Amino acid sequence: MMLSACGDGRSSAEKFAEAGILVIGNNAEPQSLDPHKATAVADGKIISTMLEGLVRPDTQDEGRVHPGMAESWEHNADASEWTFHLRDAVWSDGKPVRAQDFVYAYKRLLHPKFAGRYAEMLYPLKGAEAYNKGRADWEEVGVQALDARTLRLTLNGPTPHLLQLVLHYTWSPLPEHHVEAHGGMLDRSSRWTHLGNWVGNGAYVYSGHRFNDYLSVSPNARYWRAGEVRNRGIRFLPIVNGYTETRMYMGGKLHITNNVPPEMLARACSVMPQHFCQDPYYCTIFYRLNTTRPPLDDARVRQALSLAIDRETLVGKVVRGAGKPTGVFTPPGAGYAAEPPAFMQRGSQAEREEEARRLLAEAGYAGGKGFPVLELMTTSRDVQRVMAETIQAMWKDVLGVHVEIRSCEWTAYKSAQQSMQYDISSSSWSGDYLDSSTFVELWRSGGGNNCTGWGSPDCDAAIQAARVCGDAAERKAHLRRAESIMLEAQPIIPLYTSERTYLKHPGISGWYPLMLDNHPLDAVQLPMTDKP
Amino acid sequence: MIRLLLRRLAQGLLVVFVLETITFFLVRLLPGNPFLGDRKLPEHIMAQLNNLYGLDQPAWVQYLNYWKGILLHGDFGPSLVREGVQVSTIISQAFPVSLEVGVVGMLIAVCVGIPAGMLAAWYRNRWPDALLMLPAMAGICIPAFVTAPVFGLVLGTHVPGLSVAGWDNPLCVVLPALTLGLINAAYIARLTRGGMVEVLAQDFVRTARAKGCGPVRLLYVHAMRSGLLPAVSYLGPAFAALITGSFVVETCFQVPGMGLHFVNATTDRDYFLIQGLVFCYGSLIVAANLVVDLVLVALNPRLRSQGTA
Repeated sequence: MMLSACGDGRSSAEKFAEAGILVIGNNAEPQSLDPHKATAVADGKIISTMLEGLVRPDTQDEGRVHPGMAESWEHNADASEWTFHLRDAVWSDGKPVRAQDFVYAYKRLLHPKFAGRYAEMLYPLKGAEAYNKGRADWEEVGVQALDARTLRLTLNGPTPHLLQLVLHYTWSPLPEHHVEAHGGMLDRSSRWTHLGNWVGNGAYVYSGHRFNDYLSVSPNARYWRAGEVRNRGIRFLPIVNGYTETRMYMGGKLHITNNVPPEMLARACSVMPQHFCQDPYYCTIFYRLNTTRPPLDDARVRQALSLAIDRETLVGKVVRGAGKPTGVFTPPGAGYAAEPPAFMQRGSQAEREEEARRLLAEAGYAGGKGFPVLELMTTSRDVQRVMAETIQAMWKDVLGVHVEIRSCEWTAYKSAQQSMQYDISSSSWSGDYLDSSTFVELWRSGGGNNCTGWGSPDCDAAIQAARVCGDAAERKAHLRRAESIMLEAQPIIPLYTSERTYLKHPGISGWYPLMLDNHPLDAVQLPMTDKP
Repeated sequence: MIRLLLRRLAQGLLVVFVLETITFFLVRLLPGNPFLGDRKLPEHIMAQLNNLYGLDQPAWVQYLNYWKGILLHGDFGPSLVREGVQVSTIISQAFPVSLEVGVVGMLIAVCVGIPAGMLAAWYRNRWPDALLMLPAMAGICIPAFVTAPVFGLVLGTHVPGLSVAGWDNPLCVVLPALTLGLINAAYIARLTRGGMVEVLAQDFVRTARAKGCGPVRLLYVHAMRSGLLPAVSYLGPAFAALITGSFVVETCFQVPGMGLHFVNATTDRDYFLIQGLVFCYGSLIVAANLVVDLVLVALNPRLRSQGTA
């Protein structure tokens, strides 16, 4: 596997391309390849190449899915009960993939003694939440293997978007025979995912790893679509630093990078325009406001702070165009577009600033007089710090309000945010699946990731109405209503929807812009390989 | 000599023990915990995870269990972030990489720093002195996060065979080692110059000169032995620091060594990994200092009588 770049003048990316191996930047060292322990995006990208769920994603259109382990499926009238018919597929050790492997996997993730961090992903299943919290028996959970090739899922309510949900790796099956042979269902120190032990049903199998260096996968000869895999393996490089990654790309070490830092955008664009990509991303950058602390408990103050921010300047100067200014939380996509709240719908930034001053005066802080010094918490990332400084200056200029910036390292920041030890917190949210509910449901009263202290019975009712609605259009209307209630109260200040900027070798085919960034890598073909 | 060695060894063990104890309690005082992720974990899941790894027990019980693991099983415990992986596995993969970079870096540092310092001392306050000490001062002042990307861009992209970053061929060691080596060479050159200047002004050197001793013999036979003492005392801890990895250099060159783990384990609150790494680093510092003590005693007989007194 180790190829030398010295001697013949070819870069290592060229050599890997000749060998048919895709080298891709993957941001961070994976925490685990066990789909029930992993939660990071970097882990998910690798796991998705090695495990296949009921359906698989389309290479170009995220709204479409293709049959995966399930050959076909049907559901009842209100889409609350789905039956999947599995194909005749095998694990990489040759054992058949059975409906029981799905049941086993879901039971493991939800098991009250397993501590599955992403168990919430399966909560749409009937009885799953109660079982996970130890309040119900497994028999009450809506998962059933009718026979070895038929799986029935019973859901809490109508779930017309179920196929989008099951694309996530937490819905993949696990090889029951193999996990049982390596310590059993509840063994968290199990070595079944370790190099040499891995058994999966996806396009690739685990083939090499060194911490902070690389993780490689090679084609699974027993994969049911093995003939359609367009490359001979993938090498994931865990490069955290965007500058190092961009330099490595320029030095011929990678075929696709994970991101180009804002400071390098202009250079990357001008030096290698053919390589530079900027794709929409299902992710919003926003500020959380702690609505339990005065004066942020006053909606007028929150609205004023939001109106005073010139988002066009922010996106242009700070993130250098790698985003789109927004006044809403859910990025547009999947047939859903939220409306900015009424107070935001003004023609120019000058008018918005005027309104901001009026609202702040109405709240009793005319010209910022008497307004306490608030703390704006960010992570130590450069772009976040610069953004905070820019917004700090905007609030000072427009409202006469002074905030202090507290830059924390990541865990301290996360800990403060989750325990609500902050005034204003720089935040981002990216969708797990292509449906607006992955954004809107955040704002349920007391929801785990709400972290603003805000809640409204009307918003909760609209979210609940969406959950039990079988009609797709009506469901979206409920979600839109929930979002507009939240935006009107403005417990968060939406800033911009993020765009992914990265470098990709122009000769690569089979890679298209995808909002969720979950590219089926088996479809990616390298410039120098005709056909594997 | 043996008594000196034993005494230093006992002191070293005590240092490592105290270091581990302080680290154990300090990391637990940091805000957050190893299980914090992008998304907030439900409380019942957090409680289960804490229970699984014994983090819900009183600190002193955890502390006793930790030492029990090390002393009875030679085990630093599991990584709390990369579940299912032992701390010893992570260290055993990363240490050889840092060792390689560190040894090459140290060779560069010694081979450049000592001759440069000696030459500068010989030509004290004349133009060769300025010519050598100016870059040495620059090497000390310019931080690695500036030199590393510059080397990566200038040498990595233009010199055939050298690598911008990454660890996929044997020559990948050159630039990280050069970055670390030159920074240390700068320190060593300054220390060597200082030591040599002092020695060269002493009476025995003047006597040797008066007796007609040539410059090479004077420098290498008479002056070097005591002139190098400051540089040698610096070499021990510097070597330990080099072979346990530098976060900045490893990040800039994407070197899979210990330095990256050090910082990531701290930001991730991977308690057992932090302790394992500190143990490793502490032991190496103690060992390196011990070696330096022995070398100093060999170089300077006066210390020998103090050591045994």
